[in-house]
Amino acid sequence: MKVIIQLIKNPTSLAGIILLIAYVVIAAGAPRFAPVPAKSRDPYMIPRDGFSTNPGLPSDKHILGTTEGQYDIYYGIIWGTRTAFRVGVVITLVTVLLGLLVGAMAGFYGGWTDEILMRVTEIFQAFPFLLAAITLTSVLQTIYGRGEAGGITILAQILAFLTFGHNPTKQIDPIQMNILTGMLAIIFFGWMTYARVIRGNILAVKEFEYALAARTIGASNMRILMRHLMPNAVFPVLVLASMDIGSYVLTFAALSFLGLGAQTGYADWGQMISFARNWIPSLAKYWHIFVYPGLAIVFFVLSWNLVGDALRDIMDPRLRSKGA
Amino acid sequence: MINYIIRRLLIIPLLLIGVTILIFAMLSLLSPYERASLYIQDIPKRQGAMDEIIKKYGLADPIPVQYWYWMVGRTDKATGEIKGGVLRGDFGWSKVGKSTVTEVIGRRLPATAELALWAAIPMIGIGIWLGVLSAVNHNKLGDQILRVISIVGWSIPTFVFGLLVLMLFYAKLGWFPPERLSEWASQVVQSSQFVRYTQMNTIDALLNLRLDIFFDALRHLVLPVTTLAYLNWAYMLRVTRSSMLDTLNQDYMTTARSKGLSEEVVVRRHALPNALIPVVTVGALLMISLLNGVVITETVFGYPGMGSFLAQAALSLDVVSVLGITLFSSFILVFGNLAADVLYGVIDPRIRLQ
Repeated sequence: MKVIIQLIKNPTSLAGIILLIAYVVIAAGAPRFAPVPAKSRDPYMIPRDGFSTNPGLPSDKHILGTTEGQYDIYYGIIWGTRTAFRVGVVITLVTVLLGLLVGAMAGFYGGWTDEILMRVTEIFQAFPFLLAAITLTSVLQTIYGRGEAGGITILAQILAFLTFGHNPTKQIDPIQMNILTGMLAIIFFGWMTYARVIRGNILAVKEFEYALAARTIGASNMRILMRHLMPNAVFPVLVLASMDIGSYVLTFAALSFLGLGAQTGYADWGQMISFARNWIPSLAKYWHIFVYPGLAIVFFVLSWNLVGDALRDIMDPRLRSKGA
Repeated sequence: MINYIIRRLLIIPLLLIGVTILIFAMLSLLSPYERASLYIQDIPKRQGAMDEIIKKYGLADPIPVQYWYWMVGRTDKATGEIKGGVLRGDFGWSKVGKSTVTEVIGRRLPATAELALWAAIPMIGIGIWLGVLSAVNHNKLGDQILRVISIVGWSIPTFVFGLLVLMLFYAKLGWFPPERLSEWASQVVQSSQFVRYTQMNTIDALLNLRLDIFFDALRHLVLPVTTLAYLNWAYMLRVTRSSMLDTLNQDYMTTARSKGLSEEVVVRRHALPNALIPVVTVGALLMISLLNGVVITETVFGYPGMGSFLAQAALSLDVVSVLGITLFSSFILVFGNLAADVLYGVIDPRIRLQ
């Protein structure tokens, strides 16, 4: 509660919070703000108004204009908010849990477990993140495209359930599958920082007097873990990590921009911007095709970053004066 | 010091093996049909050709056996020719590049290196300068403004920024065109009088004493370099700022001030050198973000480097090319990390004098 009051008192984080609330309202009220056409099969597919190649300028019918292929930009931005929340929240949740699992195991057990887990972490960190994510996405899309994904199908089903509320007994829609492959790839190469930070914190807190004191009075391992290590070494990391939603949305948008995330016509900001690649010499005329979806991403990411930055200062008094 | 470097060196083979195992694990998710381009260009279109290839190159062997052959190469018993073998520098055949992956890398790396080298200059220079400025004016107006700017900058995706500068400075004003050279310049560069020492246009132009080509190449580089550098100066700023603040709070700063030194001398001579030590470690992180950044930047600008090729290959699901380039990039990263660590050991007296 004290933290929330501090966040509201700070003008920059207050701006972030207001922006975030606005996005939540847009996402929740998407069917109201951008009604789904009666014939639509999937509300996340942006309705098209004809098939003409040239982007349409903003008009009464399409207030923010249309992209190449006549996808309505306004509709895409509104429903894209939902995609951003879904993708960002699920990626962050799963990635942090994975990091927590590895980091807590390494830090708590120490010894060989720690040694092996940390070497594995280093190997994952030896890859440039975006390149690795692109690579894994293309591998996954190849094997899913063939329809023989084997054991990985289970992972995709779990992710589909978390992201789209998909019924695990049914086959995943190929349109959703494309998004899931990108998400899986980001998760697979994204957990390492959390693991390292959590491990480091646990190791540090373990040495503090109060953990030692708990041990001397005969507290069990489990009790020390739950009562002392979790609140001091893990929870702060989790709270701060929740602010990474913005940067994961950014990464996913980059995949979509390259054509590897959401499919053409899906309400996804990165996918919409990727059309602009074909119109670079005439961007002065068709600036609306990337500026509006671009602003949607920028403000979304900015709101998380503003709150996250202030939160970091509040949660970690040692950094308060440094802002690092 | 020596111990420190040896310890760093010992970890390298372990990392490299780990990296190759992970890459091969991804490869082995593919079908033998898709993996065949590790060894051959085309699969003949006749009955049973695929089975012969699977047998010949052992594409259905146990995974560890396949990994071994993938690393060291496989000898063709009929001709005695060795095919494949990552350790031999053979990453297989690129369907999109229509040549071996190694050739594609060789062809495209200089352009990417040129872009990254030019981007590193403003990125490090401006980042450090603003970071020091921010720390010295801690919590004053300038610091707050820089802080907000860096958060905003951090929130703009590279591709949006790239499109924005293209819209303004190319589509609207026509100052800086995309691609690497103007038409007249690329004719000169391809002519026989022009020697391609490094394949990097700006450097070759200087070596050939052609200033006109140099400025033409530079003009084409301005936008992609800005886009690639912009991504990172904000990060550099924050690292420098926090390290500088840390140093400014040390006791020896008080000593320096109480000796009567001017604030200018205190900052420049006593604080800055110490504050820059941790900044060096960021070098490795910067390399990661350069490697990540070139993929997006080159794609936006249609710049013919390794990054845009990777994106193109990934989109065409030419997985062998994609994995080859990623493997190559992580090799660069591992050795870059090593260089940063060694440099750190050399400049930090706490490690050097151990």
